[in-house]
Amino acid sequence: VPEATRFQADDKVSPIEALPAASRVHGAIDIRSEEPRWGMAVDVERCIGCWSCAVICKSENAVPLGMWWNRILTEGEALDIPEMDEFGQLHMQWVPLACQHCEDAPCQKVCPTSATWTDDEGLVLVNQDDCIGCRYCMAACPYGVRVFNWGEAEYPVPEGTGMVQARPVGTVEKCTMCVHRLAEDQVPSCVWSCPAQARVFGDLNAPDSRLVQMLQTRNPEVLLEEKGTHPKVSYLQPRRRRPIIVPGEAGDEDGGGS
Amino acid sequence: MTTVEHVVAATDERAPHRRWWTIWIGALAVGLLIGFGSFVYQWSNGLGVTGLSNTITWGLYIVAFMFLVGVSAGGLIVVAGAELVGSHRFAHLNRLAVVCSVAAVATAAGTILPDLGRPQMAWKMLAQPNITSPLVWDMMVLFIYLAIGLIDLWILTRVPVSAKALRIMAIVSLPVAILVHSVTAWIFGLLVARPFWNTPILAPLFISSALVSGTALVLVTAWVVERVTDFVVGAEVFEGLRKLLVWFIAADAFLLFTEVMTTFVSGEPDHREQLDILLTGRLAPVFWSEIILGLALPALILILPRTRARIGWLVTAGILLLMGVFAKRINILLAAEFEPLVGLAPGIPGGRPGQEFRPDEVYIPTWVELGVLVGMAAFFLAIVTLGVQRTVLPHQDDTEGA
Repeated sequence: VPEATRFQADDKVSPIEALPAASRVHGAIDIRSEEPRWGMAVDVERCIGCWSCAVICKSENAVPLGMWWNRILTEGEALDIPEMDEFGQLHMQWVPLACQHCEDAPCQKVCPTSATWTDDEGLVLVNQDDCIGCRYCMAACPYGVRVFNWGEAEYPVPEGTGMVQARPVGTVEKCTMCVHRLAEDQVPSCVWSCPAQARVFGDLNAPDSRLVQMLQTRNPEVLLEEKGTHPKVSYLQPRRRRPIIVPGEAGDEDGGGS
Repeated sequence: MTTVEHVVAATDERAPHRRWWTIWIGALAVGLLIGFGSFVYQWSNGLGVTGLSNTITWGLYIVAFMFLVGVSAGGLIVVAGAELVGSHRFAHLNRLAVVCSVAAVATAAGTILPDLGRPQMAWKMLAQPNITSPLVWDMMVLFIYLAIGLIDLWILTRVPVSAKALRIMAIVSLPVAILVHSVTAWIFGLLVARPFWNTPILAPLFISSALVSGTALVLVTAWVVERVTDFVVGAEVFEGLRKLLVWFIAADAFLLFTEVMTTFVSGEPDHREQLDILLTGRLAPVFWSEIILGLALPALILILPRTRARIGWLVTAGILLLMGVFAKRINILLAAEFEPLVGLAPGIPGGRPGQEFRPDEVYIPTWVELGVLVGMAAFFLAIVTLGVQRTVLPHQDDTEGA
């Protein structure tokens, strides 16, 4: 059954086939082991908070207006207000947030019809045919990444966007790690499109994959680790602060940022 | 309309009663129509016509569900509780109490349907239940509980009533009833994502609230039935219910106090943040109304010598308690939803075109939700009415046989 219940491109033409060879190479998954377990790392040091990944996600996955599978949270008060650190220096940092594809997914445990399930490659997916719309998974998700189809979907263009089927009214949906692209050996859209190359996608079971290398050499953290959900998305913490120096302010003496 | 004539004959021969009966049935029919219409409207337009959002994903329907499951406790207290301690004080309230329970459980199960995004798919819960989901557990115990209520009612309408059968049912139904309220609490309490719900006290708290609201419902219903029919409850029974209520309120208040105290003093941050919504935050008006008007005031009425002997005051206290427990359900549900664990700007997607994000989440139920709720109330009252006319009144002179 797994193959049948996966997201299908169906009547849509895969744009991946139409891509020039160079783009396909750029978007190719680096190493795939015998039994892949997909994961992702977000390099917080590199993220510039531009929302490119969030927007292309909507386009790729036919996410209607008002809904986001992937969004960029700002640490601090608001979208564009920097925070003052302990040295009096301004800094900004973002948390790009989508489904964490937890190893021990709370949403899957509570789903009364098993509409939420984990596939052989570790992806937490929603089978829309089985979703009754009780929204229990939304109450159970610590990350708040699931969105519900409250009414008829609206798109910026009448014909809609996306390379996957739209979801019916009254069902819950969320990030699929672009499972339809993985089938074509291509990384998820958000990874491919990031202008800062802040996202690393790969096979957690392949020791030589760039993802595993990054996780070993950098300082990965997962969100809400204490909740015991074991996310497969990690956040690589900055190796040094790169504060925005306000000229003439105190705090310059430590030489940071010069 | 033979049933109406039958009832009128059974209730009272006097003409004014017949007119009130017609008005009552008419009101119930209008209520059911409003509810059905709202439900159909919501069904065809999507849950977007409610005040719910991706932040407040559960609202009034789930509040009503929690409340109705709670008030279903009344039948058990009167039948099983009294049976197990060997008291026959409430024996002639048996049928009335079980009717209330059956009506409450049936309506609670019904309340889940309008909360579903796709009610037409509800059968999948039966066809392919996920055994790790507390919602599936709750569905199972609710069905068992409903079956027990119906069997109880069947036993109670035989002549003579078999005391042995009642006793067996009492022994069977007590653990099931404890499970019903616990599992309903666990729908919420087992979620790691909601610190305010994720406390072991939630199941005991649901049981104590169920005892309070269940007994209050039996008291109020018994009073109404006594007033509108020739059914006699008697001062002694009301006094017994009053005593029970005092103990149940004490237990409920104590459990609530432990919960608030533990969180307030030890202060695990996530948990504390959600509690503060109740203590000082945006739900504070509802929370303090619950405590003062829904708990302290009725407790005083039931204790003070001046008020406790008057049936009018007892019923007032019962209604206040029911409202208080309803408010408590609102508070428990919403406090955990208003503060998501990952609450950074810009927040959770709004869910509708033009509402990309709604960081300052509000929840105002729409008229559709209120309409469905009116329908639910009418459904509940219709079952109670039917149950009273079919089981309580024809059998009011029956007593338990050997």
